Parts: sequence; structure tokens; C-alpha cells
Amino acid sequence: MSTFLQLFLRSLETGGIFALAALGIIIIYRTNNLIHFAQGTMGMFNTYVVTFFFTTVGAPLWLAVICGLVSATLSGAVVDFVIIRNAKKVTASGKEIITLGLIMIFLGITPMLFGVDPLSLPKFIPTGSVSFFGAAISYNGMLNIIIGLAIMGFLFYLLQKTKLGLAIRTTASNEYTARLMGVPTRSVTLFAWALAAILGCLAGVMIAPTTSVTLNLMDSVQVNAFIACVLGGFQTFYGPVLGAYIIGVLKNLLIYYVSSVWGEQILYLLIIVFIVFKPWGLIGKKTIKKV
Amino acid sequence: MASKIMGTGAGKTLQQNGRKTILHNPYFQFVLFGVIIACVPLLSSAGILRSSYITLVGSVLIYSVAAMGLNLLFGYSGLISLGTAGFMGLAAYMSAYLTSNLGLPFELSLVISIAVPVIIGILIGLASLRMEGLYLAIVTLCVSEVLRKTFEELEVFTNGFSGKTAAYPKILGFLQLNRDTTYVLLVVALVIIMILTYNLVNGQTGRAFHAMRGSVVAAQAMGVNLLKYRLLAFALATAYASLSGVLYVHFIKYTYPSTWTMGMSLNILAVIVIGGLRSIYGTILGAAIVFIIPDLLLKQIPVLGQINGFSYIFSGVLIICVIMFYPNGLIKVFPELAGLFRKKKGKGESNG
Amino acid sequence: MAEKNTAVHTLAPDEILQVKNLSINFGGLKAVDDLTFTLKEKEIFGLIGPNGAGKTTVFNCITQFYKPTAGEIWFRTNKGTVENLIGKQVHDIIRLGLVRTFQNVELIRELSIIDNVLIGAHIDFKASVLSQALKLPKARREERELRQQAESVLDYLGIVELKDQLAGGQPYGILKKVELARTLMCQPRLIILDEPAAGLNDVETEQLAETIHTIRDKYNCTIFLVEHDMRLVMSICNHICAISFGKLLANGTPSEIQNNKSVQEAYLGAEED
Repeated sequence: MSTFLQLFLRSLETGGIFALAALGIIIIYRTNNLIHFAQGTMGMFNTYVVTFFFTTVGAPLWLAVICGLVSATLSGAVVDFVIIRNAKKVTASGKEIITLGLIMIFLGITPMLFGVDPLSLPKFIPTGSVSFFGAAISYNGMLNIIIGLAIMGFLFYLLQKTKLGLAIRTTASNEYTARLMGVPTRSVTLFAWALAAILGCLAGVMIAPTTSVTLNLMDSVQVNAFIACVLGGFQTFYGPVLGAYIIGVLKNLLIYYVSSVWGEQILYLLIIVFIVFKPWGLIGKKTIKKV
Repeated sequence: MASKIMGTGAGKTLQQNGRKTILHNPYFQFVLFGVIIACVPLLSSAGILRSSYITLVGSVLIYSVAAMGLNLLFGYSGLISLGTAGFMGLAAYMSAYLTSNLGLPFELSLVISIAVPVIIGILIGLASLRMEGLYLAIVTLCVSEVLRKTFEELEVFTNGFSGKTAAYPKILGFLQLNRDTTYVLLVVALVIIMILTYNLVNGQTGRAFHAMRGSVVAAQAMGVNLLKYRLLAFALATAYASLSGVLYVHFIKYTYPSTWTMGMSLNILAVIVIGGLRSIYGTILGAAIVFIIPDLLLKQIPVLGQINGFSYIFSGVLIICVIMFYPNGLIKVFPELAGLFRKKKGKGESNG
Repeated sequence: MAEKNTAVHTLAPDEILQVKNLSINFGGLKAVDDLTFTLKEKEIFGLIGPNGAGKTTVFNCITQFYKPTAGEIWFRTNKGTVENLIGKQVHDIIRLGLVRTFQNVELIRELSIIDNVLIGAHIDFKASVLSQALKLPKARREERELRQQAESVLDYLGIVELKDQLAGGQPYGILKKVELARTLMCQPRLIILDEPAAGLNDVETEQLAETIHTIRDKYNCTIFLVEHDMRLVMSICNHICAISFGKLLANGTPSEIQNNKSVQEAYLGAEED
């Protein structure tokens, strides 16, 4: 029982990381109607920025993270400002190819700026843990869970209760009409790209202490975030978050009980089977295309 | 018909008037292209080209085959797959295993190494292609992650991180090829693929692919079974990628897990976007740009060229610029230049 | 559902399509509400109604792009059988002899005009993928014959000289003709035209009226159209059905419709400008 609880607590942490990344993908999907394949790679790049400020410059971790978030905001804004905004005539799949091109650019820039050696980033709270009913979780894990939930809570408040949120939701449901109705869709998309980059950076900073900071840092997070979107459906904001936590639990269960090597791979194959039975996800429903 | 026996002088005039010379026959062009490309080993043995160029041009031909398949999938049918490298790697490892460990003849190994990935492709296509295109990208991403892990971990089959070796092919059980003759085999394979692709895309299958990309509703209303044709496009792309993987392992002679990454899939995608979507020669031009320029030119640039990842930036920036400003790909430069030239000439004549 | 599909329904010998109690809801909104009407063979049948009346939705239900909430759609197929279209696959509809055009011309810009028309012959291409790739005699013959047929259709519509030009960038009037040509490739029994005159000028509209008439006679088929141009509808249709908010308003000959009180009310204002 305590093993299971332990796994569950750890899943809350991994699920939260996946949820942040998935939210980044979904916010771009809803506002720009395209799949942002470079979400993970941009998160990786900005995590390198954090690591650079922490190790090379010697800034305290909190300051390094702030620098990373600023860099994330800038990189997201630049992508929107320089590329997406000027790609009005490009088809949706063309824009997805653009995000694939972005992956290549960030994969190229990162070793150029930060070198090819693996770096490491420490936890916020290096040691200590609390235990619930025999299951232990580190202070840092707790912190990650809380930060994740707080950010998501804040985002849902933003989306549902504020004017900006209304603008985002209007743009998401129909960009053209939203523009006609006076919604500043340009600012909305700018905000969305910046936000997606910030969420990616946060996910990167949270996952980094469990591994080393390399070009492949976000590969697994990225794939898991995608399948979280598939599981939860692309039509809502909360579906993918729910999906991300489920993926987190399933992943840790599979790794612990089935195979430490193949657990994650089995999960990917299970998701493919899931699509056969519930193609629109747990929450999403079939959309009717206007003819 | 008369054109076949025409002299060069008559050819020129007929070419301008009649447009029926053999030079305009696409099949002749494909074969001619093959013959020219097949001369690289000759040039190298004559000392005109460095012998390392054989490997370089050969790998461009190999990647062109995979890219041709991706062009059918993305260029014609509008579907994005991120699994190209995974399927190439699967076929490469399979063929290496079947020929080296099991001692199967090259031809049989080729057939099996294409059939198995295609069957896997059809299965994941059945799962993901009933919905809008975006699911294929995600599912192929998942599959390529599973395959990558398999290459690393399934050591009995793949030899893990130390990589797996294979030999040059032995044709029909007695004709042992060497590097130069394997290169010729690559050329033959590419020319056959070019001809088959040309026939397909100019037939009803190609039009059905076009219809799926251009207007899903029109395709359906005209009787195109979307699932069937999406599956067909994906199966063809997988078959081309597998062929390319088999050719790779028997030409380069070894395969490592680190070759078949997302980066490779993106490079293949860059090939078709940069060279020209829906263009056979564009695909080859794209492969040359993506795989030769970084190797030959960029590395010569002082400082910048030495940095790891510069070739990625080159391809990435090119992809984005081509999509935004030149969506038909760089192959369209040639007809446009020719058009400009003709216009200038026409002007000059009328002025004169 | 299954019982209804197998139940033998007989249309009167001169009838080709019967829409019976058709309804479709979009999240509570009744876009089409218990609609019933019948088309006779060789008729030119018009469906009219103010904006948002659900005309295109009716077309989409018949061609199965939308799955109706309730109702039956009986069609006399090119094999002479009478079948309920409900529940059929979208891509199987054309095989029964029912083909349509779209409100916003749905052509493939990157293909030549004749290739666009050849897409309309998709179901007549029988050669396998392999024989297409190898260009075996069967594939060659098929391609040659259907290409000739496409040329004759384009010739009939007067645009054969444009056949090798790309569809992208052609003027709207030409595109409309190409889309019409595409429907003529499959020997249709019933052609559904969604606003064939939208975007055309007066001269082109007059030509269109003429063309629709001759198509009906030459191809021996029935034509079912939605149109806003009242002059066109009144001049070419034998029979008109008027709907508003998804409900049937009136059903009759052009003159009956013109004199119908509820139709006039529904159009009041819309007709005046």
C-alpha cells in the first residue's frame, strides 16, 4: 500500500510536469490551430539558459530561473513576431512544418551557445522529505506539485474569469469572428506563444534535476505531453491536464510493476490502442466539420 | 518516332517546334539522370573526384528514396509523419540481422525488411488515420520513440550502442558487390523509384492523394475512401523508407541507434520542403542541399562551420524561409530563371 | 435503424428521391425539422429559403456529410434499386449515382483543370495501384479513355482549351464550370448543385440556366439545386420547395411558390433589396 501511495505521490509530480508541457501545446493548438512540435525543444533551450546563469554566471537558482523565464518569454514572442505573424498565407500543415523547422534551429543553437557537454541543474530544495502513511516525498517534489497546481489554478482562473481569458477562448473558438468582434487576436497569439514557452521552461527546470541537461532533456516530456493531449482530447483546456496526470500515474506504475526499461514504451503503444477505441479522447467529442 | 534517330542539329529545331523529342520523354530523362549520376565512381577512379564523394553522393541517393516516400505522404496527401527515421532504422537493422546472423540471401532479406515495417505501418495507420491528420504525427512520434529504445536495448538483435554491421549485397547469390557497384545498385534503385513514383502520381492514385490534401470534402464526395487512400499513402511512405534503410545498411555497412533519431526524420522532411513538395527532381535537389552542403561547404567556413549543430540551423532556417516565401521549393528556381531569361531575350529581340 | 434500412420502400415509378421526416439537431438547435419532400425523375427541383434556413444542411444530410438525427432518405440508384441513404459512407454515395457540387468551389488548385475533372471519374478507375505504378496496359487504356471523356465534357461546357491550365488562379466562372464538369464524369442519376450561380455575373447566370437544362436532357438525369438567385430558380425549376428555419414552408410549381403567403412573409425584406 505504501509503495503504491509512494508511486502515486511521485506520479503527481511527473504528471504535473507533463501537464505544464501539455498546456503549452494546447494553448497554441487552440489559439493558432496548429500543433506546436517545438514546445519541448524550446523548453530544453530555456532550461539551458537557466543552467547557464546558475553554473557559469553563478546566480542563485531562483534568479537563474527568472532569467530563464524572461528568455522563454522573449523566445516565444520572437517566434510569433518574426515567423508566425508573417506566415498568414501558410496552410495549417505548413505552420506545423515551421514548428518542426524551429526544432532544428533550437537543436542547432543550443550546443553553439552552451557547448556539447551534459550539464546539471540542482533541485530547489536539495534534501529532506515528508511522509504520509509510510510513503515519502521529497520537499522538492512537494514544491513541484504545488507550483504545478498553482500555475494551473492561476491559468484556469485567467481563462475562465478574466477579460484576457475571454479573448483567448474567443480566439480559440473562431479566430476570424473574434477579430471582427474587436478581440485583439494579435496580442492573444503573442501572449499564447510566450506563455507556451514559459510553461515549457518550467517543465524543463522541474525535470532537469532528475536527469542531466542535454539536448534530449525534453524528449520524453514532449511525447508524454502529446499523448496527454490525445488522452484528454484537444477540445478543452482541462482535458489534457487530466490526461497528463493519468499518464503520470500509468507511467510510474508500468515502470515499477512491469518493466523499468520498457515501461514508457508500453505506455506509448497503449495510447495507440486507446485511439482505436476513443479517438476523440476522454473529454473531447467529435467535431462536425462545416461543408 | 523519327526523333529517335535525329541528329543533334535537327534535334534543336524540333525541340523548339514539335516538343516531341526523346529528350522530353520523362522516362528517358529519368534514365539519363541515372546514367549521369552513375558516373561518379568513374570520375573518382579517374582522379577527378575524391573517393569519399562516392559515399556522400550515395547517401544522398539513399535519403532521396525515403524522401520520395515522404513526399507522397506529405507533399501529395498532406499528412505529417515523424516516423521516417524509425522505419528506416528498423529496416536497416532487420536486413543486417537477416543477412549477417541468419545468412539469408540479400533479395529475401530486402523483401522481409520492407514487408515487416509496412505491416507495422498499416497497423498504426489503421489506429490513427481515421481522424484528422494530426494524430498520425503524434502516433508516429510515439512509434519512433519505441523503435529508438528497441535499437538501444534489444541487444541480441541490434547489438546495442556498439552498432550492427552488414556486408555489401550479394546479388542472386553469386554476384558480390563492392562499394562502387553497390553505388550503381543505389542509382538503379533510385531510378526505378522515380519512375514508379512518376507513374503513380500522374495516375488516379496521385489525383486521389491530391484531392485528400486539397479538399477533403470533394475527395469524399467523388468517392475517394479517405481511410483507404491515407493508408495507401502511409504504406507507400513506409515502404520507401524501409527500402532506403536497407540500402543504407548495405552501403554504409553499419548502423547505430544514434542515426535513427528525430533529427533524421526532420532532415528528411527538410529535404522535401526545401527541394520542392510534389516534385521528383525537387526531392533529389533537396537531399543534395540538406546532406551535401553542410558537409562540403559549411564545414569550410571558419569558426562557425566547426560548431556542432550548424547544419541543423541551416536546414531549419531554410525550411522556414521556403515554407513562408517560396512554398513550391527551390526546384522552382530553374523554370523561373528560364522564364526570366526567355523574357529578357524576347525583349532584346523586340527592341532590336 | 437496421430494420428501417432493410425495409423495402417503393418509390412511385416516376420518383427518384424522397426525403421523409428529416431532422438534424446541432446542440439543441433544430437545423432541419421534420422535412419531407419528393423529387420526380428528370425534374429540375429547387430548394429555396432565406439565409440560414438549412438548405445546405439538407444537402449535407442527403450526401451523408452530416448524420441526420431522424428521418429517411430514399433514393432510386443507378442499379434500379431503391435504397435508404441514411448510414451509408460518404464516399459510397457517388457509386449510387448521386453527385454534388459545393457552395465554396472545392477544387484542387495544384492540379490542372482536366485532372480536377478526372477526380470525378474516381469510381470508374479500376486498375490496381500496382498496375498504375507499372503503367500496365489496363491502366493506360483506362487513363486514355477517361481522359477523352473528360475532354469531351470540358468541350461540351466550352472550356476545353483551358484543360491543361492549373485550377488555382482561374476566374470564378471557370471554376464553377470545372466543378460542374466534375459531376458529369460519373453518369449521375441525380446532381445536387449548391448555389451554382453564386458569384456569377448576369450573362454567366443566363448561360448557366441554359446549361442546366441541356445537362438534364443530355445526361438524362435529375437536378436538385439550392439557389439564391430567384430569377434563375423561377425560370428553370419545374418544382420548388421553400423552407425556413429548417421547416417546410411550401411545395409546388414556381407560380404556386411565388403566390404563396408564407413564402412571401419569410422573404419579406430579403426580396426587397
